[in-house]
Amino acid sequence: MVKPKVAICWLGACGGCDEAVVDINEVLLRVADAVDLILWPVALDFKYDSVKDMKDGEIVLSVVNGHVRNSEQEEIAKLLRGKSQLVLAFGACACLGGTPGLANLTTKEDIFNWVYCDAPTVVNPKGNYPQTSSRVNGKELTLPEFYDRVYALNNIIPVDYYLPGCPPPPYSVMYAVSAVLENKLPLKGSTLAPQRALCDTCKRNKSKPDRLAIKEIKRIHEVEAAPDICFLAQGIICLGPATRDGCGESCININIPCRGCFGPVEGVADSGAKFVSALASILDAQSEEDIARIVDQIIDPVGYLYRFSLPVSILRKRRG
Amino acid sequence: MSQYKPKVVCFSCKFGWGYLTDEDTLSNKIENWIPIICTGKIDATHMIEAFEEGADGILILGCPEGDCHYQDGNYEVKKRVYLLRRLLESIGIEKERIRIELSIDPKGRGIPQLVKEMSKELTKLGPSKRSAVAEEMPKEAIKARGGK
Repeated sequence: MVKPKVAICWLGACGGCDEAVVDINEVLLRVADAVDLILWPVALDFKYDSVKDMKDGEIVLSVVNGHVRNSEQEEIAKLLRGKSQLVLAFGACACLGGTPGLANLTTKEDIFNWVYCDAPTVVNPKGNYPQTSSRVNGKELTLPEFYDRVYALNNIIPVDYYLPGCPPPPYSVMYAVSAVLENKLPLKGSTLAPQRALCDTCKRNKSKPDRLAIKEIKRIHEVEAAPDICFLAQGIICLGPATRDGCGESCININIPCRGCFGPVEGVADSGAKFVSALASILDAQSEEDIARIVDQIIDPVGYLYRFSLPVSILRKRRG
Repeated sequence: MSQYKPKVVCFSCKFGWGYLTDEDTLSNKIENWIPIICTGKIDATHMIEAFEEGADGILILGCPEGDCHYQDGNYEVKKRVYLLRRLLESIGIEKERIRIELSIDPKGRGIPQLVKEMSKELTKLGPSKRSAVAEEMPKEAIKARGGK
């Protein structure tokens, strides 16, 4: 029997998502038996050229992690899309743009100026900046083009399934893998995680008072958070109400509030905007001064509410 | 710049604003007017979307404090607007672009005037900067992720 061909590939990624695949431990051996891994740059030595030589649709599944910010990443994403029957956006960066998406709050020029010139550790007297093409000793050297902003995978290619998380937990990776192998996949376009919000399964939910009322907003490092009481009840911002469940509460379990890496719940396009409404409704302030005082306690609201999802939010990018 | 006419989206509560006048008559006088039942219903998503669709400013007309038909909808939207202003400022949308008035005007005669006033203020600010990337996202992709 011919084994189904599977590709695992990273674009603009930290490697954590590939690590999450390895974290399924011995199950990975069963997967390796059941499928023919034709590309996995972080773990195995394969060439992109051999993918280019394949027929369209020859790969059954491409698991793609990481965001897209340069022409090479775009090229690989499009190559895999063409050769694959199914594409799974794997991890927060591929699904939502991820933490690197916060770079959309600044410009390409500012990033280049800082990295190649202004940062205190940089010595660059000639003012060299990376060029897409340059000649050295009579030979042409090329580099991918760095784009103006960060894209999520579905900004670039059509995506069939989404598995969010930073990184996705091992059991959801296993669920996704077995769903593909056993052909038990849900409707195309689905996110392979529960549809409800994290608060629905959070163990701390029971400790929540009937009506949440925040008088002061505190940051997690400023206080010693009680280990079993709802973070919002303690005045600590937790994105649980607006974030999809399915992470296994790995942050909550180590006494850290939810940062939103699973993205919006089903039916919501912009989790940050929804959280604005949710948070505003639990602020306990009477006068305008009071509202302003509490709201001003949120340092960097955009970074807090869109930590993983700026490129797919309605805001997408800083204006001007 | 003399030709520039800011686009103001006006949300007003039907319980406090213009309920004694026929809605069609009033809507002829007010462009981009969205009468709703309780301003507490206006979600942050609606406001951000309005900017993304080309609004230069948003005017919210709610009932006087303590007079909300649903107890505290006007108070809720006020807090929401404060928080949203902070968020929008950090992505380059000035806080003056969202204005909220809590008052009462049964005949709604003051609404066109308030829109005009805000429009005047916005002319000084100039057009709202948009992300100019809306067209990049394939429609199917937005739908697939649960958006419109």
